[in-house]
This record gives sequence, C-alpha cells and structure tokens, in this order.
Amino acid sequence: MNFELTEDQREIKRTARDWLAARYPIARVREIALDGAADDTWDEVVELGWPEITDFGMVELAVVAEELGASLAPTPLASHWAARLLHPELEGRGTVAMWDEGGTDPAASTMDGPAGTKIAVPAAEGADVFIVTASGGRHFAVPSSAATVEPARALDPTRPLSTVTFDGAGEELSGDHFGRAWHAIAVAAAAESVGVAARVTAMSVQYAKERKQFDRPIGSYQAVSHACAQMFLETEGARNVVLWAAWALDHDPDAAFMAANSAKAYASDAAVNVCRSALQVHGGIGFTWEHDLHLFLKRAEANARAFGDSTWHREQVAAAHL
Amino acid sequence: MDLTLSPAEEEFRDTLRAWIADHHPGREPDGDEASFTFRRDWQRALNERGWAGLTWPTEYGGAGATQIEQAILFEEFARARAPQLANVLGLTMGGPTVIAHGTDEQKERFLAPILSADEIWCQGFSEPESGSDLASLKTKAVLDGDAYVVTGQKVWTTYAHHSKWCMLLARTNPDAPKHRGLTYFLLDMEQDGVEVRPLVQITGEAEFNELFIDGARIPVENVVGGVDNGWRVAITTLMHERAGLAFALQARVQVALSELADELKGTKDPLIRQRFAQVAIEAQVLRLLAYRGLTSAAKGGEPGPEGSLGKWLWADLNQALTTLGLDARGPAGQLVDDVWTYRFLRARANSIEGGTTEILKNIVAERVLGLPRA
Ligand SMILES: Cc1cc2nc3c(=O)[nH]c(=O)nc-3n(C[C@H](O)[C@H](O)[C@H](O)COP(=O)(O)OP(=O)(O)OC[C@H]3O[C@@H](n4cnc5c(N)ncnc54)[C@H](O)[C@@H]3O)c2cc1C
Repeated sequence: MNFELTEDQREIKRTARDWLAARYPIARVREIALDGAADDTWDEVVELGWPEITDFGMVELAVVAEELGASLAPTPLASHWAARLLHPELEGRGTVAMWDEGGTDPAASTMDGPAGTKIAVPAAEGADVFIVTASGGRHFAVPSSAATVEPARALDPTRPLSTVTFDGAGEELSGDHFGRAWHAIAVAAAAESVGVAARVTAMSVQYAKERKQFDRPIGSYQAVSHACAQMFLETEGARNVVLWAAWALDHDPDAAFMAANSAKAYASDAAVNVCRSALQVHGGIGFTWEHDLHLFLKRAEANARAFGDSTWHREQVAAAHL
Repeated sequence: MDLTLSPAEEEFRDTLRAWIADHHPGREPDGDEASFTFRRDWQRALNERGWAGLTWPTEYGGAGATQIEQAILFEEFARARAPQLANVLGLTMGGPTVIAHGTDEQKERFLAPILSADEIWCQGFSEPESGSDLASLKTKAVLDGDAYVVTGQKVWTTYAHHSKWCMLLARTNPDAPKHRGLTYFLLDMEQDGVEVRPLVQITGEAEFNELFIDGARIPVENVVGGVDNGWRVAITTLMHERAGLAFALQARVQVALSELADELKGTKDPLIRQRFAQVAIEAQVLRLLAYRGLTSAAKGGEPGPEGSLGKWLWADLNQALTTLGLDARGPAGQLVDDVWTYRFLRARANSIEGGTTEILKNIVAERVLGLPRA
C-alpha cells in the first residue's frame, strides 16, 4: 500500500510542468485564447511523445493531465487523448464528437451512423480524425474530409469548440475497449480539473496573505481562511480520488469504473467550487477580464460539463450501489 | 503508486478475518454496564491474541505491526460489525502518548493494563470555560511534597465513570504564558477528591460526565513529559485522536454506507440517488485521505496537521450519511427506529468532539496553508 508516485512518474510530472511553464506562461495562454495568436507547439508535443502517453499507463496520463489543467495550455492534447483511447490505431491528430444537439446523456447518441451534427466538439479545427458516437453505442472514425467544421462560441476560450456536421462517410470501430476508454477519458478530464483546482487554491492563498483590508491581511478573517481551507480539502480529496481511479483502470478492474465516475463527479465539483470561492476571495479584481482567474473559472465550468457532468457521473455511482 | 496489499498484509487480513469469525461475541446487550462488560471481554479476547496494541512495541505487549496493518484491523472489525473495544481512549490516545513521552517506569506501569482493559482511561482536557481554547484551562495543580494537589472541574469526560486513569491537563505555572504553564498528569480516579457525575446526552445515553476534582493527589512520578511541558504532550494526544479516530471511523462509515445501500436498493427517487452517490464518493475520498496519511506516517513520525483534514471530512460525511438515512425513511423519520434515529443524533456531535470543525479549519488554514492567525 503506497500512495507515492514512482520516480519515473515524478520525472514525467516534472518534465510536463517545466515544459508547460516554458511554452504556456499565462501571458502566452492569453495571447492564444483571447487575442487569436496561433498555438504552434503540436510538433514539439509529438516529439515529446505525449500524444501516445495513453499507451503508457493511466497514472502517467493523469499526472500529465493535471499539469495541463494547471497551466490552462490551449493545446489539443486532451481531446487527442480521448480520441486515441477510443481508437488506439488512430493516425494523425484526433478528437471526439459525442454530443448530439439537445442531447444530455453522454452515453446515448441517437445519431444513425456518422451522418448528422454534433455540438461542442473540442479542437475540431485542424483535427485529422473525428471519433463520432452513434446510436446503439457505436463509434465511427471519420476523416476530416467528411466533416464540416463551424466554430462555436466556447465558454472556455482556452479550448475552442465547434459544431461539426458529418456527411456519412467513416469506418465503424470495433472492440470491447469502449467502456474502459470512456472511463479513462473521464479520469483524464478529472485530472485536468484537479490541476485547475490546485493552481487556483494556491493563487487564492497567496492573495489572502497579501491583500490587506482593515489593516490586516484578509486571510486572517475566518470567512476567508476557512474558504481557503475548504478549497484545499476539496483539491486534495479530488487528487486522491483521481489517482485511485487512474491506478484502478490499470490494476483493479472491479473497482475501476466506479472509481472513474467518482473521480469525474468529485473533481468536476471541486474545481468549480474552488474557482467560484476564489472569485469571492479575490473581490472585484477577480471579476475583471484582465485578471487570470476568469480563465481558470471558465475552464473549470466547461470541463465539469465535458464527458458527462457530475450529476450524470453520480447517477452511475448510484446505479452501481443501488 | 501501488494500492494493493502486500502478500504479508493479505495473510494478516485473512488470519484476522478467520479469528474474528471464530470469536465474534454477537450482538451487544443493552444498558451501560452490560455493554461495558461485553466490550471489555471482547478487548481481552483480542489482547490474548496479542492484537489489542497492534502497533505498540512488543516489549510493552504490542505486536509491533505497521500502521497499514492497524488500518486493516479497523476495516475488518467494521466489516464484521465487531463490538467496540472498552478502553478506546487508552488504546488510541493514552497509550501512544505514554509511549511517545513517558518514562520507562511509566511504560512499565501503565501500558499492559490498558491493553488488558483492566484499567480504563479517560481524557480530562475540556473544562466549562475552556473548550476550543483549551490552553486557557484553570484546573490547577500545586506541588506539595512528593505529590501535586489538584483542584478544578472538567467536563464532557467520556467514560470517566468506568475509568481508573485520567489524562489530566492542569495548570502548574499560573505566571507563564497560557500554553507554557500546563502539565500533563495521569490522575488516579479512585480517590477521595474525584467525583464523577454523569451527563445525559441528546441520544439519552450518559457516555460523558462532569468531573469535580477537589484536593486530589497525583504523585510526581505521574507527570508525563515534564512539568510545564503539558501542551506539547497534549498535542500528541490530540493528533492521535484525530488521525486514529478518523481511520477507525472511516471504516465504520463504509459499513453504515453498505447498510444504507441495502435499504435504498431499487429506489427511483433521483434526489436520494444523488445524495447517496455523493456520500459514497466522499466515503472513498475519506478512505483515500486516511491511506494517504498512512503512507506519510509510514515514513516516520507522528500524525501531522493533515490528520485534521480527515477528522473534518469525516464529521461532514457522517452527518450527511446519517441525515440521508433518516430522510430516506420519509414521514416515518418522525418515529424513533433502531438504527438511524440514534446514528443521526449521535452524529450531531461529530463536528464538536475531538476539536470542532471550525478549529480544524483554523489549523488547516494556519499550519498547512500558512495563513495569518485570526
Ligand atoms: C460527544 C462528546 C465527547 C467528548 N469527549 C471529551 C472527552 O472525553 N474529554 C475531553 O476533554 N473533552 C471531550 N469533549 C469536549 C470537546 O472536545 C469540546 O466540546 C470541544 O473542544 C468544543 O469545546 P466547547 O464545547 O467548549 O465549545 P466552544 O469552544 O465554546 O465552541 C462553541 C462554538 O464556537 C466555535 N469557536 C470557538 N472558538 C473558535 C475560534 N477560534 N474560531 C472559530 N470558531 C470558534 C466552535 O467551533 C463552536 O462552534 C467531548 C465533546 C463531545 C460533544
């Protein structure tokens, strides 16, 4: 029984953190997300081998995903991972098209084959392959030539979303890996939320130490310090449950699916709670476009709704028990 | 990362499981005396097997086992719905404190009877005027020859009515700053000058008591950890209380959860389903937090302020769980039942006993996050 990351996993974490800090300082994230600058690191990402980290192990994936979330890097890496988990032989860069217009259940598309429209497709522009869900739990790999991409207005500007219409071409995927893949995708998304929660907790604690009102740091007021303590509790809790789920997907199949649903539900809520509370701790400055907090908040809110929201994942947990 | 048990740990679990199955004494009888005797017999059986002080050093009657094995024991006990141990405060707090700060003579004298439940322990910290602000306590101890003479009042003293020894925190130096003038004593409860009066709780039981101390004598050899050093020693007790209890109690949460799952099986009510799932998830979060704590404790040292997180989360969770148990009964929740009424009422104390949730949040904010003191 040991919760420590291995030396290799720590090394992966360090590498990811350093690289992300170098390529995606928050000022650069803002240029890409808000000012329309091009994100140009994909070739480097490929060279680092990160698109294939899904083959490595889930804990490794979760560790990198947490760093990705903490940096808010506007790279298409996460949606590529999702595609690759569903379609391990995928060539080029992939993404996932799962949401029917008006659909609410991530596991129940009513689309009849790869023909029709999907909304909220992440990183669709420039993707080579779309993994498209259809009725009866079917999955199709659709080349970009069969897709029409219409950029949508995304809540989270660091992660572009599109409405994509598919013309019916595409190859059906087969295998019995889809259940595991969707749970792994949920865990990766949950890990990103942990990264957001951890960074925003640290920002809030820092601010609570520096900002003075009534001649005292605001962190000396319990309404503020207890809010920070709550952020810390939820962040730590979320990280533990994400690591457990990631580990279970590779080592404990009996517990893995419930662990993954638990991780996505808890981490989604944690990141959202932390960011909302952080806004309160920051006062007016946190409400400005200029401050970075809104970028984290929007990522947390969007990520909480991607790949099934916490209500949906909780219902899966309930179904397993009840 | 490896969340599996080692072969040795698995073997321990299997041996333990078989032993519990053979020795489980069945349902606890009603009534304070009968239930106490029942719990004492159970602890004695466990001690004869060498497992009452599982993690204690072997020279003091322990088994020298790891924290992980202790965790396994708690989980197996909870799973089997084994009775509580009679001397829970001695085992989880008093003993570890004597092991950490006591003299060799004290270890020789006090540890074995804790394990055998021949001598029950209680914790005399809180006073009517000093709860959260424990260091402000007023009970005073004055040296008179080779003994301290103690006068004051303690309150909420759990199991005082069964106890031989009391972990007593008293003021020995009224002139020192409040944290520096306290001494940690072991008070013999069987003497004139110590009077125990039961306090009935909202559940109707009387687990805790008022303690009136008027001229009781404590020989100097019953000072633990040095005169005026009581605050540090008390912190050891409190850290063990929070870390240890959070673990034992998280195991019991899992059991209550599975009982609730049986009761709610098949329910269609989406709100009840959501609340149940949230509690089930938080129970996992608590379990993982406890295991994570063990990973750091295994690397040596005493439980740290992180133990406060577990105690805090447990209180929130157990209150949510027991409230759900009551709510799920619908209008029948107006009537007293055999299970959830008691659990719901008892859980109200979870965010008060062993340090209130507000105090635990202060500890996390100040000691873990480094925020300025309120
Ligand atoms: C079931 C039960 C068993 C117990 N067993 C024992 C025992 O065996 N031995 C023993 O010594 N004690 C025992 N206690 C006592 C327990 O430790 C105290 O009740 C607890 O420390 C709180 O003290 P208090 O009751 O005086 O409340 P107070 O300290 O008066 O607190 C009242 C309220 O004020 C809040 N508050 C106080 N200070 C602050 C602050 N600085 N910041 C924010 N909020 C604050 C508290 O959180 C609480 O909500 C037991 C209590 C219970 C309920």
